[in-house]
Order: sequence, then structure tokens, then C-alpha cells
Amino acid sequence: MKHAGAVGLLALLLIMVVLVATGTGAMHIPPLQVLAILLQKAGITLPVSYDSSTAAVLLVIRLPRVVLAVLIGAGLSMAGAALQGLFRNPMADPGLIGISSGASVGAVLIIVFQASLPLWLNTGWVHYYAMNIAAFCGAFIAAWLIIRIAHTSNGAIVSMMLLGGIALNALCMSFTWLMAYVSTNEQMRSIIFWTMGSLGGATWQTVLAVTPFIVLPLLLLPRLAGALDVFALGENEAKHTGVNVSALKMKLLLLSTMVVAASVAVAGVIGFVGLVIPHIVRQFTGPSYRLLFPCAALSGAILLTVADLFSRTIAAPAELPVGIITAMLGAPFFIWLILKEKRSLLL
Amino acid sequence: MMLDVQELSLSLGGHRILHQVSFQAKAGECCVIMGANGAGKSTLLKVLAGEYPHYTGSVLLGGNPLRELTTAEQARQRAVLSQRIQLHLPFTVSELVKMGRYVYGEKETVDKAIVDYAMHTLQVYELRDRAWTTLSGGQQQRVHMARVLAQLLEAPQLDGGVDGKILLLDEPVTGMDIRHQQLALQLAAELAEHGVLVVAVLHDFHLAAAWADRIFMLHKGSIYAAGTTEVVLTAANIRHCFDIDVQVLEHPACDHPIIMTLNHTHLSKKITENGSNYFSA
Repeated sequence: MKHAGAVGLLALLLIMVVLVATGTGAMHIPPLQVLAILLQKAGITLPVSYDSSTAAVLLVIRLPRVVLAVLIGAGLSMAGAALQGLFRNPMADPGLIGISSGASVGAVLIIVFQASLPLWLNTGWVHYYAMNIAAFCGAFIAAWLIIRIAHTSNGAIVSMMLLGGIALNALCMSFTWLMAYVSTNEQMRSIIFWTMGSLGGATWQTVLAVTPFIVLPLLLLPRLAGALDVFALGENEAKHTGVNVSALKMKLLLLSTMVVAASVAVAGVIGFVGLVIPHIVRQFTGPSYRLLFPCAALSGAILLTVADLFSRTIAAPAELPVGIITAMLGAPFFIWLILKEKRSLLL
Repeated sequence: MMLDVQELSLSLGGHRILHQVSFQAKAGECCVIMGANGAGKSTLLKVLAGEYPHYTGSVLLGGNPLRELTTAEQARQRAVLSQRIQLHLPFTVSELVKMGRYVYGEKETVDKAIVDYAMHTLQVYELRDRAWTTLSGGQQQRVHMARVLAQLLEAPQLDGGVDGKILLLDEPVTGMDIRHQQLALQLAAELAEHGVLVVAVLHDFHLAAAWADRIFMLHKGSIYAAGTTEVVLTAANIRHCFDIDVQVLEHPACDHPIIMTLNHTHLSKKITENGSNYFSA
């Protein structure tokens, strides 16, 4: 009951946020009109009148961007929760432990060597899929390295995990800047903009390019909730209880890097969503993943939609990359987490 | 035979921990593994729990080689209570006990009845909504025992389909008060009456003597003595394996031998000797 209530409430909130965010911008569209236009697409006619140009702005410009924010917000936050379960530590975050920068190395390689790739790889959705796959390879290698560095059978050693993350981030950043150094001016601008993390490039094409890589983990990760709960007891206890531990770890790793890589490929590095959201949600839902996963996904979607709304309205007509906003909110939160950890160590 | 171990040997990090261990145990027995620190008790239990699959020799669980059973098959047949469980998340008591049902999939109504029954049995039902992190060490141990009981049972009663299952306990009563120690071992004995093979590592001679059908005494990775309490718990065996002097007494109010440690002159002399050797060296 508590389960259905919390999920329903968050879903309702998400719908409201989406209606407001889609309507806000240079051309204001009231939420009722937004609803009418969207439902019209689904074949339901509401007695609300609107211009066809309003509908075009909404469907072509606003909606893909909001949908992308919802997908990436939900995906990153669930990937963060999954990684925290995998490392059995609440400080694991795809950005902090180097998975996002691993993905960015893969994606930057595609940006810079675009010209030397065969033509069929550079057209339309194939290009985005190539970016996705390159980012996935980079992210997976980084995730595998961080596991080798930090993992023990009693869970990750948190200092090793974070130090390993610093090292991996430094290594990946040096690669990224090396690529930027040899790139053309135009490529340089796109690399820099994209390192900051932005949803500015959203079109229906980018949405379609990431949808499978984010929706699949969003559907599959909740099915691991029971096993992840038992996994909190420790690897050996989980085995005794009947969890196939090595399969579980591999699934978690694959699914969460898939999400991170897809979102990095289209929106760059949007940090801290995967750290902050699961942490806050856990305060309300308790540690069980059965409730944490759906609530974290919905909350992540809400947060990123709102953050992106700010990013494109706060300095309009200019645009602030959304990664800057999430980092400004997330980094102080991370410091607060460290202080909390310090207090618990001193007790 | 529920459990058939033949010539089991195991090395960890180049050290030989277990050497040519052989024993058999049948359904309904309470077996105790004893021995000094480092004798290999916990390691033996961990091999039976499937944690070290690189052993040599053979381990048969209900006639099947342990290595060939999947994790889920093992979990349906055998539950394990480990010594130290590190958990820093505030799961509630009932959530934790329910984890024992993992291998059976989601069957809400049966699960809830079994989980409630297990919590009542270990007297933690009143704590069911408390966060794990707020419990005392002994309470936490009882919650884990309830979780393990929930994994064994197939119905909310002790005779519910537990026949032929195996329960492994590694120092199960550490940290519990004396009443709950009795309660926990009593429960294990009742499970044995319903056909569970219980194998426990115990340190306490009195608990072992009162509870065990058979005792295996390990010394340096091998079984030094095996058999009933009277056969194994002799002054000579204890002196050989633990290097202390004891006297084995009988008391009319007690149907098992009482092990009494003698004054520790032997031990303290030894400490002094070692000390002086150390300083003169």
C-alpha cells in the first residue's frame, strides 16, 4: 500500500512537471493547452483551442527535450542506485568513480575521428548508435577497472573506490583533452560544450537513439531488486541464500554502464544525479530496492526535468548547460555526505 | 547419507588448512565441530557452505557432488548462519527475515506466514518493524537465525518439509544471553528431530556436551577424534587439541559429562617459559 502510494504520488508529480516544463520557454503555452496537444496526438480531443504553430513548437522543439530529460534523469538515478548496490556503498556514483568519463573518452573518439569513419557510420541514427556503442565500451572498461581496484568480497573499500575514481577521471580527462588538442575549432567547441553536460541537442532522433539503451535497463533493473536486497548482507550470505552472485554483478554492471553510456553519448556528463537522488529517496523509502528503484527513477526524472527547465530559462535566450546546475547542487551534497561519514567514523 | 565427506583437503593462499578430512552424517543428527583457533573449523563449515569450490576430495550433499549443484539448488537444500555479518543499512527485522525466502521466489501469503512463524520462534516478532541498525548484537544474531529458519521451512511449522535439509551454524550463539543460547540450540535440536542435519561450530564445551549427538574434534586441519560426547570429550583429547588440562566429571543431575578446567598453572608456566625464551633470545 505504502508502495503504490509513493510511486503514484511521484508519477503524478512527474506528469505535472512535464506539462509545466513543456509549456515554458520563449513561447509560453498554458498546461491545459499542452495537455490538449499531447492528447490530440494520442487520439483524444479536448475542448481546448490552440494554434497549429503552438503545436508545432511543442511537438518538434520542446517535447523531445523534456522526454530526453525524463529518460536520462530516470536512467542516471537508477544506474546510481544499482552501482551503490553493486559496491555495497552509498557513495558510488557513475561520475565520481570514473564511469562517465570512460564513456566520454569513447564518445570523443567518435567526434574527433568522425571524418575518417566510413560514411554510412556518419549519417542519422547510425551515427548516434556508433556514439552509444563507443561510449558503452569506454564506460564498461572504466567500470571493470574500478571494480578491480576497489572490490573485495566484503564490498568495496570506499577509499579505494573514490581514489580509483580520481585516478580514472584524471586519465580519461587527459585523453579527452588530448583529443580536444588535436581537434578542429568546431570539434573543440562541441567537445567542451558536451563535457559540461547539456540536453540542448535534443531532437526526436537523439531520443530514439537512446531510448532502447535506457528503457531496457529501466525495465530490467527492478527485477533484480530482491537479489540486490539480499546482496546487502554480503556476497557469501547472498550465495547461501540462493543468489547467483557473479551473474547478478555482471547484470548490474552491464545495465548501469549501458544507461550511463547512452546518456553521456547524447547529453555529455551530467554529474551527481545518480548520487543525490537515490540517497534522498532512501531516507523516505528505506533501503529495500523494491521501492527504491521505482521511486529513484521517478524522482530522477523530476529533478532533471526541473534542472533543465532552469538551464534554458534562467539566462534566456542564452542557455546554461544543465551539468553545471546538477554539479552546483550535487557537489555540496557530496561534501555533506563525506562529513556525515566522518561523524559516523568518530562515534 | 545426507552429508558424505571423503578425503577433503583445502589450501588457502599456499597454506594447507584442511587435510584429508572424512566423515559422514545422516538426517536428524546434531553434529558439532570443535577445535582450537586455527584448527580449520570455520573453513570446514565454509567448504560445506559452498564458499570454497576449489577443494580436493569429495563432498556429497544428499548424494550429489556439492560442486555440481547450482547456487539455488544448494540454497533450497541447505541454510547457513555465518559468524560475522556486516550490514550497515537500516533494513527492518521483517524485511531481513523475509530475505531467507529469496530462493523460493515470490509467494506472498505462504512467505508471510513462514516469516511470521520464524520471527515468533526466535522471539523477535515484537521487533519486526525495528531497523536492524538499532538492535543489540544478540538481537541481531536472533534475527539472522530467524532468517535462516525461514529459508529452511516450506510451511509455517517445524515439521513443514524440512526433512533431509542441512543447517550449518558457525558459532550461532555468540553474543546471545544464556536464555537465548538455550532457545537457539533447542530450536536446532527440534529441527533435527524433524529430519534436519545440523552441523554447528561451537566453542563452549558445556553447550557442545549437552547438545551434540556427535562431535568432530579438529586439530591442525584434520579430524583428531570423532564420535559421541563420551568418546570425544576426554581429558586426553582436550589436552592434545587445546593444550589445556581439564577434568571430565559426571553429575547425577546431568546426563552429559561436565568439563572442568583445572587451575591454569600449566598454561601460565608455559607463558612464562615462552616469555623468558623470547627475552633471552
